Amino acid sequence: MADRQLTTLLTQLRTPSLPFSQSTTLLSKAKLLLLQLSALTPSPTVPPPHLTLAREVYELGALHALRAKNPDSFTRYVSQLQPFYDLSPSSFSSPSQNQNKVTALWLLFLLTQGRYTEFHSDLEGLSTRGSVAEVENDKFLGYPIKLERWLMEGAYDRVWKAMKKGEVPSEEFGVLCEVLTPQIRREIASSSERAYPSLPFLSAQSLLFLDSEGAVIDFARSRGWVIKDRTIYFPTAAEMNVNEEGEQEQEQEVSQMVIENTLGYARQLETIV
Amino acid sequence: MPGKTPDKEPVENGGYRGGNDMKDKKDLKPKAGKKGVKEGEDEKMTVVVPPPKKQGAQKNDADGDVAMDVDEKEEGGEVKVDPVVQTLSDIKSNFALLDRAVALFDARFTLRALRSVSSIRKRLTPDILAQAISETYTSTSPGAETATGLLQAIGRSDVPLGRQSGNEMEIDSEPKAAGKNGAKKEAKEIIPEIDVFLGILTQVLLHDNKQWQQGLEFSRFLIDRIQTLNRRTLDGLSAKVYFYYSLFAEQLAPLPPSSQSPIVSIRPVLLAALRTAVLRKDTDTQASVIVLLLRNYLLTSHISQADLLVSHTQFPENAANNQVARYLYYLGKVRAIQLLYTEAHNHLTAATRKAPSNVCALGFSQTATKLLLVVELLMGDIPDRATFRQPTMEAALHPYFLLVRAVRVGDLEDFESIVAQHGDTFRRDGTYTLILRLRQNVIKTGIRMMSLSYSRISLRDICIRLHLGSEESAEYIVAKAIRDGVIEATLDREHGFMKSKEMGDVYATKEPGETFHDRIRACLALHDESVKAMRFPMNQHRLELKNAQEAREREREMAKEIQEGDLDEDDLGGEFEGM
Repeated sequence: MADRQLTTLLTQLRTPSLPFSQSTTLLSKAKLLLLQLSALTPSPTVPPPHLTLAREVYELGALHALRAKNPDSFTRYVSQLQPFYDLSPSSFSSPSQNQNKVTALWLLFLLTQGRYTEFHSDLEGLSTRGSVAEVENDKFLGYPIKLERWLMEGAYDRVWKAMKKGEVPSEEFGVLCEVLTPQIRREIASSSERAYPSLPFLSAQSLLFLDSEGAVIDFARSRGWVIKDRTIYFPTAAEMNVNEEGEQEQEQEVSQMVIENTLGYARQLETIV
Repeated sequence: MPGKTPDKEPVENGGYRGGNDMKDKKDLKPKAGKKGVKEGEDEKMTVVVPPPKKQGAQKNDADGDVAMDVDEKEEGGEVKVDPVVQTLSDIKSNFALLDRAVALFDARFTLRALRSVSSIRKRLTPDILAQAISETYTSTSPGAETATGLLQAIGRSDVPLGRQSGNEMEIDSEPKAAGKNGAKKEAKEIIPEIDVFLGILTQVLLHDNKQWQQGLEFSRFLIDRIQTLNRRTLDGLSAKVYFYYSLFAEQLAPLPPSSQSPIVSIRPVLLAALRTAVLRKDTDTQASVIVLLLRNYLLTSHISQADLLVSHTQFPENAANNQVARYLYYLGKVRAIQLLYTEAHNHLTAATRKAPSNVCALGFSQTATKLLLVVELLMGDIPDRATFRQPTMEAALHPYFLLVRAVRVGDLEDFESIVAQHGDTFRRDGTYTLILRLRQNVIKTGIRMMSLSYSRISLRDICIRLHLGSEESAEYIVAKAIRDGVIEATLDREHGFMKSKEMGDVYATKEPGETFHDRIRACLALHDESVKAMRFPMNQHRLELKNAQEAREREREMAKEIQEGDLDEDDLGGEFEGM
């Protein structure tokens, strides 16, 4: 009875264009039904068909949460899915179609949050699922892996190309890429500050992947850059002044450290001899 | 430490002593009638046991021990010992050690018993073990239940217990001695340590015979038994039991990387053991179980769980060296995966240094060194070439050598071909994902080389030399390298080149001072650790006090004698000359 209701709910949930308010009510209904089947968490007594249903409810929940840009609820669904993915494939009646997609989205989500430690820990966990080449060539899983590699190298133009509309593996990835865009821009800006003494407007626009000159001006203002004759001057000279003052301070610090160390050695020598 | 030697010697020679006794018996034996070789051995064994025990009682009489020892060594050379008998006597000599460990409450004796396991292991067969068990237990003794369990596990459940008592009756030639021995036997209670020790031998046997399933079941039985006992003298032994338990689970299908492997199901048992061990301040089990759990998590790539375990437990400070080395290795691995390379490097360096240098731990040092090399590369350092020259490591490290060479030069193409070529090796070593991360380091080194060699170079050339995809990528990559402090340079957008800044004098900075400080600190830490590692025999100072008191008493006596005029002038003269 309950499982039949659940299947009908699932068919409704599978339509991706479902508005968020509707999907939440449907999902909470589905979870109640799961509770009746006592399949909310995987335990050895739950029959395979119910487990399969439960897994799909969570997967769809995760995807809907992402579409609605609700990171907390997405995190919750993914952590609820984790024990299901740890079970052997034989305990389900059919393999999941969304598993790789959800995992890949989760990895990308970690990237956008800058949680690299977790990203790599989870990546290591993927190796249990298949060979590394298999994972990398997967349409979904390969995506966050490639992005991370390019980000680390600094090949931002490739990241940018990969994040363009037609390139993302599915529409949910687009949502996360939107979050990633300003982060990448910040990264580029901070490296440009150090690398160039000055930058013409047009170059800055293409470097930062901004649409118009107006956007460049806004962005430059937000970073505190000086704009003169359609060229951006990075505040290195100003920094230098600060540095000179700081240098004296630094020197003092160094000598203090040297004195401290020497005293430390003397004390240690005394205890040894 | 001279105080320790007399204690140690006699026990280690226990086996030989057994041999001697056997020889004596053999001469007497024909009178008792031929009963077949095997029977004979049994009988001999019964006589072998007591001496070591006697030794235990005599432990304070150091001089006596040494004297006996010398005699026996001389005799021992002449006797040719049957390997079966030898093994049996080796096993039994360990009982004496365990007895003593309990009596003196000194874990060192237990460790010594455990150390002998590896030498016994080579000669162990189910028959020998069954014999040892049946001779140790009588059917009425309290440990009989355990003994049957042991026998069942090795598939010798038909061997009756308490065989020795029957044999002793047959020694008509020496009724008195036999009677005495028998009485002693019965009075002697079999301590649980011996149960567990035999259990460990059983585990070893099952492991060597690849009976994983039985091994796992038996280990569970043994662990249940250990958990009901609360004896501090069992600590070292139970640590070993858990070790084999986990080893059996690892061998069972589905094999580890799969999340359905039996090792997942033993986690609760190990965690419970850890909790108990912490509560009982049982450092041996604690250290061993933490290491097992870490290994367990890493096998199934549950990195975050391993990290949580590390952050919620405290690894015992005074754990055995080998466990510390293992722990450091696993910790280093976790940290490397978490991108905390500096920490990982510290742990792994310590692990490789702590690893035993002899051949039996070669595998460990190789694995640890491999990981260390990769981490060093990830940190941007180039490992020392001497590492690859060690004769024991050379072959195993060859793929890594090629890798280091590629990274050092900064040749991306070469790097990628090596990764593709030796991918399987790296995957087997579990370093593959880490090596993939090296790509960016290769690029960075390449850029650094460029910046060092040219004062000005076009982005186009950089792109071609480093095999980067496009000039655009090259620009972003170089900009990032500048920001990360890899190189000191500026970019010129309009003309599309990179201009290197003049490098300052390193000796004008505080870097030499820092390096010096680091080295001094390492030396001091070494000194502190060596001081901490020194061991002093218990109550030694009291012994000295006693000696001093005795000397004083002697002096007083002598003074009294002089006063009474018992001593001649000559005697005293001699004394003075001596001084």
